[in-house]
Parts: sequence; structure tokens; C-alpha cells
Amino acid sequence: MSRAGTTATGGCLCRGVRYRVTGPLREVVFCHCTQCRRSSGHYAAATACAPGDLTLEAEATLTWHRASDIAARGFCGTCGGNLFWKPDHGGHVAIFAGTLDAPTGLRAARHIHVASKGDYYRIADGLPRFDLEPGA
Amino acid sequence: MILTGGCLCGAVRWRMEGAPSAVVACHCEDCRRTTGHHVACMTVDAAALTLDGAAPRWFASSETGRRGFCGTCGSNLFWTATDWDRIEIWLGSVDGPTGLTLSGHEFVGSKSDYYDIADGAPCFDRLAPEDRGFR
Repeated sequence: MSRAGTTATGGCLCRGVRYRVTGPLREVVFCHCTQCRRSSGHYAAATACAPGDLTLEAEATLTWHRASDIAARGFCGTCGGNLFWKPDHGGHVAIFAGTLDAPTGLRAARHIHVASKGDYYRIADGLPRFDLEPGA
Repeated sequence: MILTGGCLCGAVRWRMEGAPSAVVACHCEDCRRTTGHHVACMTVDAAALTLDGAAPRWFASSETGRRGFCGTCGSNLFWTATDWDRIEIWLGSVDGPTGLTLSGHEFVGSKSDYYDIADGAPCFDRLAPEDRGFR
């Protein structure tokens, strides 16, 4: 049963972390930076919402790791699910799109940090590509 | 071939000496919910893989399968199964160029709706042929 105002729900594989979003979600951005590639095991696909629109309904296993001095990565300490990327500026929280309950109704919009992509895959979906990050 | 790799924080390190039997992407729900998108991996003999540093944390994701990740930084690294003499290594964890090319997409019926598979590689509802002999 859906709750009024809910735009998405999701969580990790073991359900140790479950979340609900009540507000707009950004289009999905693919990030090919070395940190996202190491962490995800391929490359990242991230939507995002306003921090106040994200409610954690289960968080017992949520673990945070700071891989840089600008943000923290949230993952499940039980199943390893990569869930969140939370920049210190607090403007948004990125949510890794594979953890959203499908269908998401979202579409991917662009690829960023393609200069550091892996050599074993091609980007062939025709979406705009940026060597770094637009506006960065 | 020899490849090395590890997690984001460097706690878990690995070395592989051998020839991968499959280099594929997997779009199943388990892979989606753990990696946050979908998986790209190489399948190798378990004996070809040497681990160094911290031990990965393992999660039993099915009756026989288990997923290895770094308990410190959450990096997704491996999948293997009970009574299976092979292991899958996530390609994003490789140091530098891999020299490999994805040859197919598995479990495409379970993929999410926000992306398209557009690279022209063969798509399979379940396992790719090069993977079927092994599990």
C-alpha cells in the first residue's frame, strides 16, 4: 500500500536498509569516476532527492564511509548494498538507482567523469558525456 | 594474464593469474540491490585468485551463492557459490586497464527501467552460454 506523497521506495538486498522518498527525484546520472567504479564494482547510477525528503524506514545496518573530504558513502554492512552518496554541502542526497524498487519511472540523462571510465565497456546509449562533471 | 585490484579504501586487495572464462554484465535484482546499478564481472578459477589484506565480508545471498564486499568501505568485489570451483570478480575493482571486453548481458528480464542496454552485446534472459557450463 502506498503512502500519500511517496515518490519512491527502495533498499538493499538484505533489507537491513529500507528508505522512502517523498518529493521529486532527479534524473539518473551515470558516474564513471574511480571511486564510484571501485565501490559499485562497475560504475554508478545515481538519482537524488532533497535530504528532507528521504526517510529511512530501516537503518540498523547502514554504514558510512568517507572516501573523500567532500562526501560520505552509505552502504549496508550486512549485504554490501551501495545505497547513498551524501555530499557535505547538504544540498541533496544521491541514491543509487539500482536500489530503488522497480519500476522507477526514472530515466538516465548523462554520463559524468567518463575520462576515468573502465576499458571493458562501451558507452553506447547516446546520452551526453562529460569528462568531468558539468558545472564542477 | 595477470590482473590486480581491490576495494575503494584499499583494505581488501586481490591478484588474479589466469584466463577468465566469461566476461559479462548481470542485471538481476540481487546484483542491482548490492551494486546500486548492475554488475560487470569476469569468471575465473578460484585457484587463480589470491587475496591480500583484510578478509572480505561475505553475505549469503541465496541458498548456495555468496557475495564478497569490503566491510570498511562497502565496495562490491566477488560472487561465488558452494561447491563451485570458480569465482566472479567485479571489474570495477581492477587496477588500471583490464584488456577485457564485455561479451554479453545476463538476466536482462530483471533489469530496471531507467537505462537501456545499447552496446550491441548479446542479451540473455538467464546465463550467457560461456557461463552455463559452470553453474
